[in-house]
Amino acid sequence: MISKVFTAALNGIDAELIIVETDVSAGLPALNVVGLPGIEIREARERMRVAVHNMGVSFPARRVTVNLSPADTRKEGSHFDLPMAVGILGAMSLVPQQSLENTAFLGELSLDGSLKAIRGVLPLAEGILRNGIKNIVIPAENLREASLVEGVNLIPAGSLAEVSEVLRNPDFALELLERYSTKNSRKPKTPEKAFEKDFADVYGQENAKRALVIAAAGMHNIAMVGFPGSGKTMLASRLPGILPEMTYEEKLEVTKIYSIAGEISPDEPLMDKRPFRCPHHTISAAGLVGGGSRPRPGEISLSHNGVLFLDEFPEFTPSNLEMLRQPLESGEISICRAAGNYRFPADFMLVIAANPCRCGYYGDPMHNCTCTPSQIAGYRRHFSGPLLDRIDIQLEVMPVKYEELSCEAGISPDSGTMRASVSAARQVQEERFRGSGIKFNSSLAGSLLKKYCTPSPDGERLLEEAFRTLALSARARDRILRVSRTIADIEGDGQIGSAHIAEALSYRSLDKLYRG
Amino acid sequence: MVHDTKYAGTKKELINTEIINNEVNYIDAADERFPDSLRMIEDPPRGLYYVGNIQLLKTPSASVVGSRKATEYGKWVSKSIGTRLGTEGVTVISGLAVGIDSYAHMGALKAEGKTIAVLGGGINVACPAPNRNLMREIIYADGLVISEYEPGVTPSRFTFPRRNRIISGLSSATVVVEAGFGSGSLITAEYAAKQGKNVYAVPGNITSQASLGCNKLIYDGAIPLIVIEDILNEFNIEIKKSQGFSKKLGHDELTVCEYVANSGETDIDHICVGTGMSPGKASGIVTVLEMKGVICTGMGKIFIAK
Ligand SMILES: Nc1ncnc2c1ncn2[C@@H]1O[C@H](COP(=O)(O)OP(=O)(O)O)[C@@H](O)[C@H]1O
Ligand SMILES: [Mg+2]
Ligand SMILES: [Zn+2]
Repeated sequence: MISKVFTAALNGIDAELIIVETDVSAGLPALNVVGLPGIEIREARERMRVAVHNMGVSFPARRVTVNLSPADTRKEGSHFDLPMAVGILGAMSLVPQQSLENTAFLGELSLDGSLKAIRGVLPLAEGILRNGIKNIVIPAENLREASLVEGVNLIPAGSLAEVSEVLRNPDFALELLERYSTKNSRKPKTPEKAFEKDFADVYGQENAKRALVIAAAGMHNIAMVGFPGSGKTMLASRLPGILPEMTYEEKLEVTKIYSIAGEISPDEPLMDKRPFRCPHHTISAAGLVGGGSRPRPGEISLSHNGVLFLDEFPEFTPSNLEMLRQPLESGEISICRAAGNYRFPADFMLVIAANPCRCGYYGDPMHNCTCTPSQIAGYRRHFSGPLLDRIDIQLEVMPVKYEELSCEAGISPDSGTMRASVSAARQVQEERFRGSGIKFNSSLAGSLLKKYCTPSPDGERLLEEAFRTLALSARARDRILRVSRTIADIEGDGQIGSAHIAEALSYRSLDKLYRG
Repeated sequence: MVHDTKYAGTKKELINTEIINNEVNYIDAADERFPDSLRMIEDPPRGLYYVGNIQLLKTPSASVVGSRKATEYGKWVSKSIGTRLGTEGVTVISGLAVGIDSYAHMGALKAEGKTIAVLGGGINVACPAPNRNLMREIIYADGLVISEYEPGVTPSRFTFPRRNRIISGLSSATVVVEAGFGSGSLITAEYAAKQGKNVYAVPGNITSQASLGCNKLIYDGAIPLIVIEDILNEFNIEIKKSQGFSKKLGHDELTVCEYVANSGETDIDHICVGTGMSPGKASGIVTVLEMKGVICTGMGKIFIAK
């Protein structure tokens, strides 16, 4: 007889409903899986065989055919173990057929029949619900994470035996729920005090802090250039503490990505802080943009709605940097594979830090730069090209003098003060962009840029003057307008005036650094 | 005249090494266009290969030299001196090297003044692209490129120092803008002193590697260049008070301007502390002042440009 069991497959961060059809019929003992199964699913045959056996059921010594439909969707992941095992139990009539009708199954089996946590339970559960199936059997360990989906009946289970029990006796579900939700209900962390690094630790650097507030408020990409030890890394690592709050939708979106990457901690299932990722420059291409045989989001997707920090930027390989271009433009990444394209969101704020030259001291009167002119020219090449056109704010970070390091930090703002400015500007943007499809000033382009970033007449005059005297590129114009919009938002001004333009013009270290 | 017609109307791009090769002219020391100033130095060149306006050899001139590796401050000073000399009709002589030399030439060109580049090898010998572009610009601007070496001679550790005697020999005074220890510009200063010319050195921070050579020159008796106009004394040029700028500045701009003038060199954070302005406002004002040409910025440092 044939059984039908529901489960789901991931495609990017969305999930599709999959039906597992299992047929047990006369023939030589065999277990075949058809319907574009990924490598992990083909391996699942063995896990399933042993797990079913260890449940005390003898695996049918007959011909078992498993069909995953729709056949043209590629299926990846270890969560197919459970639905396939349940399918066999169904086909052997060990569980009642009607118990499978309104329920989907997700889970990986270990050989002893216990259920292990899976990746991507959040988007999978969401996809299943979207297809009208409300009951979902999941590994107990994934309970908290899956609970983020509203409107599903979750049935947590610790083993295949428990699953088969609950299918035969639906009342057992309550007991399971009680058993595993108490087990999982460790108190979530206290919400405040979550950022251990505060800008108060950074003495002076008022100019840099101001620039970082602007960057965070409008989610503008920012570059920091300065001598070694000037505090670039220190400043950047405090950025998470001043980023604007995420909306619930943004949090869910980020959580889905982390769920697929298997990076959700059971204690904190909802990602409620904007991500801050700082990959090392030795990272592989797949690690950076995503990929692998079972498509896994890369650092750029793990930075979605948050910050991607590339410290020592010129150390990254040009080919890796080249791959950032598409996501910087479109806010997502497509990964091409034989079975089709996968898309992951990748709308992040790029923060880069760099020394002015390889030895670090180009332009520093206190040290000798040991680079040759051709080395400097080569280094400088890292700061050209389309990637850098997308960096709205370019900041020079000067070292704070030793005697000033030791003075009282009172004057320089702390993270709380900075966060307040960011939130104010964030609110203005939320109202401005409601329904327009963009969230931050950094996304302003084309007609929206014209609509929201027309400066006052004296602002316009200053901008024109700047193009003549500062030799700015035409592309710089949009950058400066976007940044001055954010500055005006921070200051609570409706129109962009000359003061905002003037300040925006000051953040152009890369243009200046290597001129002449 | 040769230089006028040959390059008039040609596209910049056309002047590259091959063309220069075809158009390199020569005068020997007996030629009436050969300047007395060069005849009188020890070991005078036998003649000069040149491209451009040979008449410039007899104009009042000063050399502006320094290290290849220059700080923002050094570049700015060099360019400012070049501009000032150019404005006053004094020809700026230098060695076309990257760093201080290039900025001196560029300063003169900015003022639409005259400038001479003295090379340490054959005029047609390939040099890095930025220098080549600058050479083109000099020739276009009715300037002059000279060398005692015939076309094809590659510059060497030996030719560069010898070339310096021509730089100092041609000019009435030599300014060293920035020189670390061992910089070739110190050799130029030495030649100038031996040739009886005044040597000026731009003073730098005692902590600045890039100014060690200059500060040492001052210790050894060179004239410190306290303000850029000092160099004009050599040419009996009356110093006109720069005027009108302050009038055009707003109140806040004046405040920032005064603070920068009093500090010599500063940065945004110090301006904020010194004037009580917010960093954003101070950054904006500094940018506007830079556009008005009142101050200069580089690598986070801010200084006065007048
Ligand atoms: N403004 C500052 N206030 C306090 N400490 C600082 C400051 N600037 C630098 N430091 C100290 O110097 C160290 C080096 O700074 P870092 O951020 O690593 O420099 P960079 O990344 O620019 O090379 C920091 O870890 C910190 O201890
Ligand atoms: Mg660092
Ligand atoms: Zn260097």
